[in-house]
Amino acid sequence: MKGFSRMRKDIGVLTVGSLVLVGLLALVPLTASPAGQKGNETKGKFYFKQNCKSCHVKDAQGGEITPLSKTQAQWQAYFAKGKHMKGTETLTKYLTPEQLNDALTFLYNHAVDSPQPETCGK
Amino acid sequence: MNRRGFLKLATGGAVGATLLQAEACGMPLRQQKVAKVPAPRLEIPTTCDMCVNKCSLIAIVQGGVVKKLNPNPENPKSRGMLCARGNAGIQQLYDPARIKHPMMRTGERGEGKWKVVSWDEALDFTAQKLSAVKEKYGPQGTLWSSSESFQEQFFRNLGQAFGSPNSVRHPTLCLASVNLAYSLTFGTVPSFDVQNARYIIMSGANRLESFITPDTMDLVASTTDRKARLVYLDPRFTKTAAKADEWYPIRPGTDLAFILAMLNVIIGENRYDKEFVSTYCSGFEQLAEHVKQYSPDWAAEETQISSKHILRVAREFSDAAPRAMYYAGRRSSWYRDDFSMRRGQAILNAIIGNWDRQGGMVPNAKVELGELMFLPWDDPTAPRVDELDRNFPLAAKGDGVYLRLRENVIAGQPYPVKGWMVYKQDPVSGIPDQDKTLQMLRQMDFVGVIDIQMSDTAWFADVILPESTYLERLDPVEMLAGIRPVVVYRQPVVKPLYDTKPLLEIVQGVAKRLNLSQYFDYTMEQWIAEQVKALPMDLPLEYLKKHGVYSSAQFPKYGTTLTPDHRFVTKSGKIELLSRRLQEAGYDPLPIYHPPTQVPEGQFRLVLGRHAFFTHASTTNYPWLNSFSTENTLWIHPKPADSLGIKDSDRIEVASGSGSIRIKARVTPKIRPDCVFMQHGFGKHSPWLRLANSGGSDAQLLETAWDKVSGGAAMHETFVKVRKV
Repeated sequence: MKGFSRMRKDIGVLTVGSLVLVGLLALVPLTASPAGQKGNETKGKFYFKQNCKSCHVKDAQGGEITPLSKTQAQWQAYFAKGKHMKGTETLTKYLTPEQLNDALTFLYNHAVDSPQPETCGK
Repeated sequence: MNRRGFLKLATGGAVGATLLQAEACGMPLRQQKVAKVPAPRLEIPTTCDMCVNKCSLIAIVQGGVVKKLNPNPENPKSRGMLCARGNAGIQQLYDPARIKHPMMRTGERGEGKWKVVSWDEALDFTAQKLSAVKEKYGPQGTLWSSSESFQEQFFRNLGQAFGSPNSVRHPTLCLASVNLAYSLTFGTVPSFDVQNARYIIMSGANRLESFITPDTMDLVASTTDRKARLVYLDPRFTKTAAKADEWYPIRPGTDLAFILAMLNVIIGENRYDKEFVSTYCSGFEQLAEHVKQYSPDWAAEETQISSKHILRVAREFSDAAPRAMYYAGRRSSWYRDDFSMRRGQAILNAIIGNWDRQGGMVPNAKVELGELMFLPWDDPTAPRVDELDRNFPLAAKGDGVYLRLRENVIAGQPYPVKGWMVYKQDPVSGIPDQDKTLQMLRQMDFVGVIDIQMSDTAWFADVILPESTYLERLDPVEMLAGIRPVVVYRQPVVKPLYDTKPLLEIVQGVAKRLNLSQYFDYTMEQWIAEQVKALPMDLPLEYLKKHGVYSSAQFPKYGTTLTPDHRFVTKSGKIELLSRRLQEAGYDPLPIYHPPTQVPEGQFRLVLGRHAFFTHASTTNYPWLNSFSTENTLWIHPKPADSLGIKDSDRIEVASGSGSIRIKARVTPKIRPDCVFMQHGFGKHSPWLRLANSGGSDAQLLETAWDKVSGGAAMHETFVKVRKV
């Protein structure tokens, strides 16, 4: 029979390992789609507008944010971190990982350094 | 007294009483008619749809009849002006040749045999056919072609919700090269502050003849008041040439040589805006090195414009900066290298520092509108049939590349496309190489057209779904970005005259049958209600109904982007004289001149143009407009005409590699001897458009060619033979 201290150590290793695994799993959905380019852009626009634009408009709480507020790399980094409100909450509070990927696709494709030639009409 | 006597007495008495009444009222006995009370005269503001400009107008309506269309001076964009086309909107409404009911063909395509059907039957048929194509070929087996309108988004949404990636729009036949060139340079396509400019160079564009809008009038005023100098390059002596200070019959396809030589002079003589370039631009050193090879003497050989003029114009242009501009043009579907020329223009404008300054180029200001929110569809997963990502990686995705697309569809590659929905567009008449368009059409299992008239494409369709005209419709509110942005309103001035529907209802009808209703589950009123919530006034909808337009007094604004921390929407964040994105995509990052194809011996380069009374191929049949030009002719210079034995008004045959037409000659010295010119919009197939059947169709002559970078149709790359018949 293992000594109590040895068992406690094993449990500790197991617990730490589990925590690391859970942490990694939590990150996986956000980084599973490389660069967020394979999400649904049209739905992503809807999720962004419905969930973000209520606060992130001019003179409102959170300040104005549009796709042009960041570069493509900055949007990727932001979503990879997955934090909101100065790190006090996660983005998953507002959208599922799949929806977040869609939103990232929209924002990435319309970022301030994205290729988006203008056209006539909509 | 018997009964007859009594009746005589009674009647006489009644008449007598009436006469007595009339006399008592002072009315002479012979004036006994009851005065007719005229119907009230209503003034209803709405928005024109006769061209892309969307001017505001006021419809004078009496007794349910539109009597006159007048300008609405409250719109700072259209001001107190409604052009010939705007006025002729009445004839669109009351056109006896309008499509009045849904129709389905009963004979072969193009045979002209139709039956009037109910909306249910037409929509059922449309949905069944689309579903059949989807089942056999996938949703990507359908093509959705459209032109701009306030309701176009509903049509495009239907195509996407259906699952097709294959949308194709009018810019690929028009402005694609300008849009892309300016987007890659500045991150946006600016407006040109013509009203305040002091030096304007135009390559073609022909703004004083091809498109008469208020900013055309600004150009006229600024030039005729001697405030602005206009230098105009065009193979033809047009009305713009007549009003310009200088006109040069430039050799077609060499405008980039002219521009590069100007860059050579302006940079070589240090005439560029150094502070602007160092603060806001990237790639200047590479540009300066690149243009050293393009001297005025070299350009003179290419353009056939003397080097002394090129030198002088370059110096005058830079002296007038920042109130100097090289006008971008509108229909820029000219050459295979057109994009490079527009990039050259953009770069020239940039280095003189006219960006975001009065009299220069100004990024478009906007007015925010609200939006009706709903959970949309899944994006189509299949790649586009024109293989845009591979063939034209920088082109606007939603617009497509029409001519490349057509080649692929005809070849059945990379996959079959067998269903074609067309909205407010006439590809048969409007796209080069008509035989190919008809070939593509004939390969389709289904062709459905939404239009107001029997266009050439509608003539060959399987089903026609008639849209109500703009004077009969309530449309989404539209924001027109610009130096003075406006929000315009379109409301019906009369009820629909016939069994037609607005596009949204047509789309809803098809969507319902395709189980896509959830994406169109709103009324137009609900859509508009969300849009106007963002406008800065109480009761915005009532305001728009009354005024027809909203504009903010805070505009125009200049210099909003001229701050050190401003980031342009380019890869580098700067105005890219050298384009990194072009470089990465394998294109020339700086414009390189390639001489145009030489005109073969005994042939002519065919050049096209527009006139302000016709909107492409769609308004030629309205009598008021047709009276300005009842048929098109082929302009030909007297010298080659003489050698061919052709006199003015002779019937001639014009032939290219794509087809031939017969047309009248117009022998005139107002065109270069190596070119011929014809107007667009004539020579129709559709016998319903009888006034537009005269003349010849340029679509039958133009060969398939496209700009290498934007994919825009290149409509001045066709050479023709001409002979008397």
